[in-house]
Amino acid sequence: MSESDKAAEEVARLGRRPFLKSLLWGGAAVAAVAGGSFAWLRRSGVDDEPVPDWVRHLHANEYHLMRRLIPALLPVAGTNLTPPEQVPVLRNIDHMMGLLNTTVRKDLAKGLVLMDNAAVVSGWHGKRLVDLEPEAARAYFDTWTRGNRIQRALQGVVKQFIYTSYWREPATWPPVDYDGPVTEEWGLEYLGNAPLPEADQEQSA
Amino acid sequence: MSATVQKSGLAVTTAADVKQQRLDLKADVVIVGSGAGGAVTAYELARKGLDVVVLEAGPYVPSKDFTEKFNDMLETLYQDHGGQTNADGDLLLLQGRCVGGSTVVNGCVCFRTPEFILQKWQQQYGLPELTEQALRPYFERVEKNLAIHENEEWEIARHSQLLRTGAENLGWSVRPFKRNINQCALTGHCLSGCKSERKQSMLVTYLPWAAAHGARIYADTEVTRVRADNGRATGVDAQIMDPEQGKVADLRVTADRVILAAGAVQTPLLLQKSGLGNSSGQVGRNFACHPSMFVLARFPEPVHPWKGALLGTYVDEFMDPDKGGFILEGGGLGASEMALLNEPGTGKPFMHYMEDMKHYSGIVTLIHDHSVGEISWQEETKQVDYRIAEADFPTMQQSIKASARLQFAAGADKVFVPSYQPLEINSVDEIDPVVDGLVNEPNSLRLVSYHPQGSCRMGPDPASSVVNVRGESHDVAGLYVADASLFPTSTIVNPQVTVYALAHWVADGMLADMNRAA
Repeated sequence: MSESDKAAEEVARLGRRPFLKSLLWGGAAVAAVAGGSFAWLRRSGVDDEPVPDWVRHLHANEYHLMRRLIPALLPVAGTNLTPPEQVPVLRNIDHMMGLLNTTVRKDLAKGLVLMDNAAVVSGWHGKRLVDLEPEAARAYFDTWTRGNRIQRALQGVVKQFIYTSYWREPATWPPVDYDGPVTEEWGLEYLGNAPLPEADQEQSA
Repeated sequence: MSATVQKSGLAVTTAADVKQQRLDLKADVVIVGSGAGGAVTAYELARKGLDVVVLEAGPYVPSKDFTEKFNDMLETLYQDHGGQTNADGDLLLLQGRCVGGSTVVNGCVCFRTPEFILQKWQQQYGLPELTEQALRPYFERVEKNLAIHENEEWEIARHSQLLRTGAENLGWSVRPFKRNINQCALTGHCLSGCKSERKQSMLVTYLPWAAAHGARIYADTEVTRVRADNGRATGVDAQIMDPEQGKVADLRVTADRVILAAGAVQTPLLLQKSGLGNSSGQVGRNFACHPSMFVLARFPEPVHPWKGALLGTYVDEFMDPDKGGFILEGGGLGASEMALLNEPGTGKPFMHYMEDMKHYSGIVTLIHDHSVGEISWQEETKQVDYRIAEADFPTMQQSIKASARLQFAAGADKVFVPSYQPLEINSVDEIDPVVDGLVNEPNSLRLVSYHPQGSCRMGPDPASSVVNVRGESHDVAGLYVADASLFPTSTIVNPQVTVYALAHWVADGMLADMNRAA
């Protein structure tokens, strides 16, 4: 059992916590195990890069992390799929972040910081996730897919945001023949409300 | 006087209509929730001349505003914008949160409560009144009212034809679903709401019928507390919330009878927040939810799993607990759902899988799970504690194995295990070793629940149940539950018809009590 697995198990014994709190307890433990080995919040070149005005809900570090992960998680080379840069993936992620309740949102923010920084030691990448090349970032995700339950959950959340933000866009559908909305295109008639039942004036069942 | 139903749409008071900061209403009955339980009780009581107020926390979204884009509708029509999960975050709990509730966004599947489930309720949970014979008139009434019929051949899409082919090749029992739909247009968008109003959801049936009999319906209205005095319900307090602006008004409804029909997650939370009805300590306990998996398989020929009716056929070979205790349902899905239900690997493997999506077909597994979950209100937040019980995990594995076996019998060349870890099965011989290797731990399987149930179970004993067989609280007179919270156990099948029937049953019991008292 790896050190991070041991730490996660220890944390799991602390008791049941709401979903993302569990992640963070576990994440804190993972970080504590690795704490002597890497510099928490190692600086990245992207930290000082600007964030567009339209960003309302993503924190700056989250914006840069997602921006870097999109091409890594949605590689279209060798496929007929729509390039992610032609789809408002980041805007959709920002929108979805705004739908989270306050507690979950705060916990997710901490989880993303953790996942970003844990790359410094996890897999011995020596860099934050935001600085990894796409191939290394994918390897990092694959490692977490096979990791402890906390790692599995956190990598899954990040992927859900990115995958959903891409595949919800109609521009991604033609290459896979997905029809999307059809009612208006087919000219379907609206049937309206059903009439009162015949038994309306009868006694109950 | 005869009632008249609006041809389309519904007379609903929304936050945008409210100009005062405080509203006080009086009614005979106030109903919390407008889904399967709330709508049926509203109609059955209103048509008997009672003054009924229905309060719905979610928005009123007319059918014409359904976009048929799944993610948009998740955010608009579902609880927590489609993000409601258990505490571990590995079980997505999909519930409608809109006028009409989950009936607006379900897959139309209709089953009567299986007889072996009713027998269990009679024999093990002290409910001898709930016989098939006693409930039959309720089932028949709702089946007629909602155009429930068995799928005809033209309603069985390619994905469900494949399920039938596989089952027949294995000699397993397979049947067409019954659905509450009128002239299905085969759009495949059931889970996003039926835009052309063919699904006979509460939005186009019982709610407009209740309104025709004078029921008043409020959307955007979150009930914060049930009120009671000297052991009798006296009404509810609520807040009318604009989806964008926040609270616009306080609302108090004074009524001698309160019906909770907010669903098996919200109903126990409301009781807990109100500090009512929980002398047994059972409010929120005994939660079950039919944890479902979607077992995807690849077929050599295109399936286009989004085309046609969402749900066509099912396998009941293993429905009896002695034979396994699960059913397999042939179901369709679109692009977004496909992206969330499986991932053969990060990056290129995932994108190639998605590029190939028209070749996939899936099976939804439903198990008769044990009631091991709990709903609670902690630190001003709801908590859903639910993990797959050790006793249920072998059933989950059996349902995956049966699904895989069926998919191969139907001609699949590959089956994906619904796990977070990428696992594929490439032949029948690989099924057992791969599935036997699964471990029951959080964030292992990809789970979705469409059927929360059983968190305020009924029973005769006030020490071990929350409400009596007529849905009335053991502790608070005039306080009723009329949703899936009532169920003593999970039903194994899609529960909407059971909720409709029991809601009608609860309404009849209430009317009988009122007549006796008069």
